[in-house]
Amino acid sequence: MSVVKAESVSKRFGELTVLSDVTFDVPKGRVVVIIGRSGSGKSTMLRCINGLEEINGGGLEVLGHAMPLAPKELRALRVEVGMVFQSYNLFPHMSVVENVTIAPRIVKGASRVEAREIAHHVLDQVGLGDKRNAMPEQLSGGQQQRVAIARSLAMQPQLMLFDEVTSALDPELTGEVLRVIGSLAREGMTMVLVTHEMGFAKNVANQVLFMHHGEIWESGPPDRLFSAPETPELQQFLNAGELRE
Amino acid sequence: MFGQFGWHAITLLLLAARWTVLLSALAFALGGAAGFVVALLRTGRSPVLRGLSATYIEVVQGTPVLILLFVAYFGVALVGIDVPPLLAASIALTVFSSAYLGEIWRGCIDSIPRAQWEASESLAMTRWQQLRHIILPQAFRISLPPTVGFLVQLIKNTSVASLISMVELTREGQLIANATFRPLSTFVAVALIYFVLCFPLSKFSQTLERRLHVGRQS
Repeated sequence: MSVVKAESVSKRFGELTVLSDVTFDVPKGRVVVIIGRSGSGKSTMLRCINGLEEINGGGLEVLGHAMPLAPKELRALRVEVGMVFQSYNLFPHMSVVENVTIAPRIVKGASRVEAREIAHHVLDQVGLGDKRNAMPEQLSGGQQQRVAIARSLAMQPQLMLFDEVTSALDPELTGEVLRVIGSLAREGMTMVLVTHEMGFAKNVANQVLFMHHGEIWESGPPDRLFSAPETPELQQFLNAGELRE
Repeated sequence: MFGQFGWHAITLLLLAARWTVLLSALAFALGGAAGFVVALLRTGRSPVLRGLSATYIEVVQGTPVLILLFVAYFGVALVGIDVPPLLAASIALTVFSSAYLGEIWRGCIDSIPRAQWEASESLAMTRWQQLRHIILPQAFRISLPPTVGFLVQLIKNTSVASLISMVELTREGQLIANATFRPLSTFVAVALIYFVLCFPLSKFSQTLERRLHVGRQS
């Protein structure tokens, strides 16, 4: 069963075409990684999946629902789709545990006790069981990002979207976040990740999409894509990455 | 009645200051409630309501308080209803406060990063849940110093009510000055009473601002 099914998706911002003819498929339990330069449309594609952006053409089905959806249906879908952002976006006026429990409580109607139980479970899962009562500003970037992952997990989603979640972190803090995502992948969570961490992509991805100028330029399993890129654009992209490292 | 400016006059001024306080409190409470609605409409999703609330703010901010007062006082009287000065002044200052507080609070709501809206939206919250739990609590914190600052302006602006013969602090001052022929002493006393009302609030506003700033940096 496909969790996400994109068929010739297109998206424009005014005159600017940011996505054109994007077709891919995310089967249940699989990890799809999107790579590409800044401005290639990766993040926009990800944002279309949970309706933060509306597509202009083509078909996009998420968990069996055809986008775009009416507000009420979209909210119902978002309960099932977790999203983690580059800049964490924790709620700064709430403690860690409040950040994690607020949505289960007010959106899913969980009781305080139920929500706390879920929160303790997901915070343990991301290795922050001892930070429950901290405020976000007291945490490192890596810890904040792990809280953001826990916040999404607390909704018990069927699909997780990660939008360059380590790009704002110091290099020594990316490891702890990637380990959490890696263990989610091993547990069978369906995920779509936009990332610049090529080594990580190689390890966790079942399928890699290379986006260029709003199109899927090249795609395939990570072994083939990273070792034998076919298009000069991908070769150049991968070489540039190696030079940086 | 009074030959000179003394304790009796000061007592009268203090009694009249109660009306200044009452009028300020009324205008702040009612104007705050209306201003909250204005701020929500101004930042809402309906373009029509956004436009209407923006126009409302522009028009009220572009009109002197005194003119608002005259419109409330003489305008309503035109319909044949006799308006007591306290009512007219309350209406005028409520309108005045609602526009200014609405604009102040709109700024506070707008200053909450878009990412906070997106994060809460991704967690399937409704717009009202986003406002109630995520946006407004953060905006409230930011809004405290300018809101208290505005209250100081409001207290001083209640003096316009003297022009429709409402005997609040300023009007009482005029009456006493006329009776005692001691305008300077009288109005210095009046000014001191305004100062005593406003100064603690100004200080409070500054303290809030400092505390907020420290909180942000840590």
